[in-house]
Amino acid sequence: MKLREYEAKKVLREAGIPVPSGVLIRQAEELSSHLDALGDAIVLKAQVDVGGRGKAGGILMADRVTALAKARELFSKQIRGLPVKEILAEQKLAIQKEYYLSITVDRSAKQPLVLFSDAGGVEIETTAKENPGAIRKAVALPLMRDLPPFMLRELAGKAPKEVMPVINKLYRLFLEKDALLAEINPLVVTPDGVFAADAKIIIDDNALARQGITVNRDLSEREREAEKHGFSYVELDGTIGVIGNGAGLTMSTLDLIEYYGGKAANFLDVGGGAESDRVMNAVRLVAGVPSVKVIVVNLLGGITKCDEVAKGIIAAGISQRVIVRLAGTNEAEGRRLLSEKGYEMLDTMDLVVKKAVEVAA
Amino acid sequence: MIYGDKTTGVLVQGATGKQGEFHIGLMNAYAKQVGGRGVVAGVTPGKGGQQVHGVPVYNTVREAMRDHDIGAAVIFVPAGAAADSIMEEANAGIPTIVCITEHIPVHDTMKAVAYAKVQGSVVIGPNCPGLLSPGEVKMGIMPAQLFSRGNVGVISRSGTLTYEVVDELTRAGIGQSTVVGIGGDPVIGQTFVDVLERFEKDPETKAVVLIGEVGGNLEEEGADSTDMPIVAYIAGVSAPPDKRMGHAGAIVEGGEGDARSKISRLKKNGVPVASRVSEIPAMVKDLFLCRC
Repeated sequence: MKLREYEAKKVLREAGIPVPSGVLIRQAEELSSHLDALGDAIVLKAQVDVGGRGKAGGILMADRVTALAKARELFSKQIRGLPVKEILAEQKLAIQKEYYLSITVDRSAKQPLVLFSDAGGVEIETTAKENPGAIRKAVALPLMRDLPPFMLRELAGKAPKEVMPVINKLYRLFLEKDALLAEINPLVVTPDGVFAADAKIIIDDNALARQGITVNRDLSEREREAEKHGFSYVELDGTIGVIGNGAGLTMSTLDLIEYYGGKAANFLDVGGGAESDRVMNAVRLVAGVPSVKVIVVNLLGGITKCDEVAKGIIAAGISQRVIVRLAGTNEAEGRRLLSEKGYEMLDTMDLVVKKAVEVAA
Repeated sequence: MIYGDKTTGVLVQGATGKQGEFHIGLMNAYAKQVGGRGVVAGVTPGKGGQQVHGVPVYNTVREAMRDHDIGAAVIFVPAGAAADSIMEEANAGIPTIVCITEHIPVHDTMKAVAYAKVQGSVVIGPNCPGLLSPGEVKMGIMPAQLFSRGNVGVISRSGTLTYEVVDELTRAGIGQSTVVGIGGDPVIGQTFVDVLERFEKDPETKAVVLIGEVGGNLEEEGADSTDMPIVAYIAGVSAPPDKRMGHAGAIVEGGEGDARSKISRLKKNGVPVASRVSEIPAMVKDLFLCRC
């Protein structure tokens, strides 16, 4: 789950990494009592869960006189379709130089990867394309509590030595907070020292509970409901509902829909050994999406019982057409139950998907 | 054969749990069918002295190792304890550790995999179905009835999609040497590169089907690392960016790891890529024709 900027900065501050002094407000008037602390130059940053916030007008510059009006202006805006409910008002920094610092999980090395670049304020993907020489990398052994000093020296290069403790503190935080990404961009040098001017932290969804996070904000309401049932669910914008078992097979079913010229409405992985209740819940959840015209059920497994799946589909009692491909034990019984109620069961995933695309067209 | 054969004694960690018990039954039914040793010991702390399907259960891996010759372990314990199981087995000197468990925090996996490496063990998974060498050994949860013995190796980040491919291969008369599910998490022990290296040394394996999905670039790295004839399939062509598609590792991030760029890089390096699973058997047959 992605933390909002003010949450990420709180985490940084607690880890001993300097951040600009600031305040989170939920209405413009709250700002008046903080103006003295914020000083003459103020940055107002909308706290919305979208990327490219600056370009979309989500960051405004202000001073003591204009701050309230500017805050009202920002609260009245929509940033990429999202209303602004929270603003982080910060003291504007006197920037002398900007750097980029991030730590991610390197899938190939199976270890944390630290990136430091002299081109701060620029997305790392852009720097990698246009100025790859500006990026320095180090791979850490996850069993190490701290990065060794030589690694910090190599990463920092000619940057002021104050950045080195920041890199190590971010590394510790990355480990302690179960982060998949901890990014400071830009990390700025000012006459008063180094500061994390912007920050992005993504916490591992599989570690939310032990990090004390109860609600995964990255999920939509329906995605959260699906999670309660133990399904993996992703909302898409087509008309063909999809229920599969296993992430790969379900993804492959979506791809096949695209291959035959259709558009999937969702991704739903019911998991292994699905019993009738689970299947019923899955069918109802997908059928509840207004745009769904037809549902493809594609289940394959040694231990999936086809009669259980058939019972679940029938019990769901939905109005849309359901086209089923099942392979597993009790296949004949499943087929008999479904055909009795007028449901279609076909032999291969190519056949069910082709049929569903025809029905949806 | 890679990772194990009929003579490999298997230990199951989490033997008395629902999953562990169920799959010990299936693994040993398969071992009986092919004349292999199968699961010889189970481990669940605090349950030592019990039996599961006639398999003795121990409190620790070391105790089990004292009484049995063990070449591999399969882990069915819950996510919170699975990384610890990997480290316990590595510490006891088990060379191959298969971790079925899903939802292990990435940082736990990173530590356990790093520790296993220091101890000289390899980890398959986590979040994987394990592996199966038809006629030899099954370590994990793959449905054995779909498999047939032959010369094609399969490596996959998925579970059921692997069974789909194996089913298609078997129906087309193409047998498999070993099928390895390497897991759907961002950090996994054995990657395509590692398994391909084993396949290269395996006299039974003449060609490989590589089944990948969105996220990372382990598929391309694997294909670049070998001269073996490969047919690839990549799931997630229609996956939207920044959405986790069921597997923790199946996500297109920062414009990287999308299916189309994977496919074009594979094709550029001469690897044929199937656009549907049902195309794979014919493409594998073409591979063998080309080599003749």
